[in-house]
Amino acid sequence: MTQNAVETHDLSKVYGTRAAVQGLALEVPFGSVYGFIGPNGAGKTTTMKLLLGLIRPTGGSIRLLDEELTPANRLKLLSRTGSLIENPGFYAHLTGAENLRIVAELKGSDAADIARVLDTVRLTPDANRKVGHYSLGMRQRLGIAMALLGWPTLLVLDEPTNGLDPAGIQEMRALIAEMPRRCGATVLISSHLLSELEQIVDHVGILDSGRLLYQGTLAGLQEHSRGDVALRLLHPEAAQAPLAAAGLAAAARCENGEWLLPPLKEAFLADLVGSLAAAGAGVVGVNRRTKSLEEIFLSLTQGGSGTGVV
Amino acid sequence: MVLKAFRRSVRAENKKLRGGGVWAVFLLIPLLSAAYGTFSFCYNSAAVTQDWAGLWGQHTLYYALFFFAPMAAIYAAWLWRLEHLGHNWALVMGMPVPRPCLFAAKLAAAFRLVLLTQGWMWLLFFGCGKLWARLPGTPPPACLLWALRGALAAVPMLALQLLFSMLCRSFVPPVLLALLGGVAGFLFVSKGWGLYWPYGLPALGMNANQGRDMLGGQALPFAAACLGFTLLFTAAAALLLQKWDVRG
Repeated sequence: MTQNAVETHDLSKVYGTRAAVQGLALEVPFGSVYGFIGPNGAGKTTTMKLLLGLIRPTGGSIRLLDEELTPANRLKLLSRTGSLIENPGFYAHLTGAENLRIVAELKGSDAADIARVLDTVRLTPDANRKVGHYSLGMRQRLGIAMALLGWPTLLVLDEPTNGLDPAGIQEMRALIAEMPRRCGATVLISSHLLSELEQIVDHVGILDSGRLLYQGTLAGLQEHSRGDVALRLLHPEAAQAPLAAAGLAAAARCENGEWLLPPLKEAFLADLVGSLAAAGAGVVGVNRRTKSLEEIFLSLTQGGSGTGVV
Repeated sequence: MVLKAFRRSVRAENKKLRGGGVWAVFLLIPLLSAAYGTFSFCYNSAAVTQDWAGLWGQHTLYYALFFFAPMAAIYAAWLWRLEHLGHNWALVMGMPVPRPCLFAAKLAAAFRLVLLTQGWMWLLFFGCGKLWARLPGTPPPACLLWALRGALAAVPMLALQLLFSMLCRSFVPPVLLALLGGVAGFLFVSKGWGLYWPYGLPALGMNANQGRDMLGGQALPFAAACLGFTLLFTAAAALLLQKWDVRG
């Protein structure tokens, strides 16, 4: 048994001459909430459709829940998967409960499960209203409820907060964050906003133009947020010798009276500050210029530095 | 397993029918057709024998010529429209049921609608005969059999219409095709080629515009034509669905 609920190897999908997804090696650990992030048109929806067998890959392979996804076992894997792709599908002339009955029927799940999922998404009071009269947020929650029917081990949610107001986003976020605990499911969730997911995911994959730019833990991504070190000195000219001795003469630059150094480990920085003080540079301030996750995301997806990033 | 999935899909389709606008079509079209047929029967007393067989001929003439095929097409278009709207394609194709089952279940649901419609049509025929045309006695039992046979003969046409509506997101073009198909069906039947045209089979099955059984000894070729066309169109739809990339 592998540690991953989802694994893809060299996965690609080409429409005509346009590669929507190329060489994708996705690894979604069991029990994780994996944020699949990328700008619009990055290939997130295409990837999710490939995982569900809604579209056929041009190349590569997919493993879901420890099994190779093939036409022969697709239905078996789908029965263990819940999904919400783009916007939820629903029948507007029927009530929320009737919509869920249809999905429960198709999934072969117990009708009693409907009450559970309605409760999970807090739709019980509106279960007997026609979906055509639901608000956008209620429809999104109904879509999640449909995905949750049948106790899936894997949830694939494509931009479930799309079109929601801030309160709706907050509510949806809280709902998704508790899925692994409430249902024991691995969650793969996409968004074009990293900030929207950073509170609920523990793993992240950043996709742009069909390629994976970063994949790993959220903590790992936050490591990349360590930015330049800014030193404010009373006597900047006295810093030359200690910086050269530390091997930073080429990397350091002076801007607006501050010395800017590349990201440094803390112990190394402490030693350097000691040397600078001993050399009479007069250290009056040390600041880490941390990049926000959003800045990292932008630097990755706009072809920026992305140092040390896959 | 496939049979179980098919049953689940049929139950799901039947649930989708609840409260849908398709029931207005179910009620109104046979009503309109019955009014036309009875009016024609009463005001053509010189040309039409004034008995139950004559009334059946007039009822089914208008019903099979103008109403039946477009009505079946509306049923089929409505059933697929449910999936064409919003993101329902991704929803249904992501369900753990074989894709051909989705089509077969829609065919079963459409057949159920047509079967109920035939019952309603027969009730209207009986009601119009007794209350409007004031015919004595009761209709010959064969009329009930012909109504049932019309429903069975509709299956290949439903399969073809479901195929059209699966491929065409618009509601109207498949219905127009059915109208043309139904009119052409009458021409095929009048030339004796009704068995070779899916839209001609319901007219043959119902003995449209006839007081006698048109099929005579052709029950087996009729059943074979119904089965053959149904299998052909269902297989085509199943093949397309298997290769389908869900875009919407």
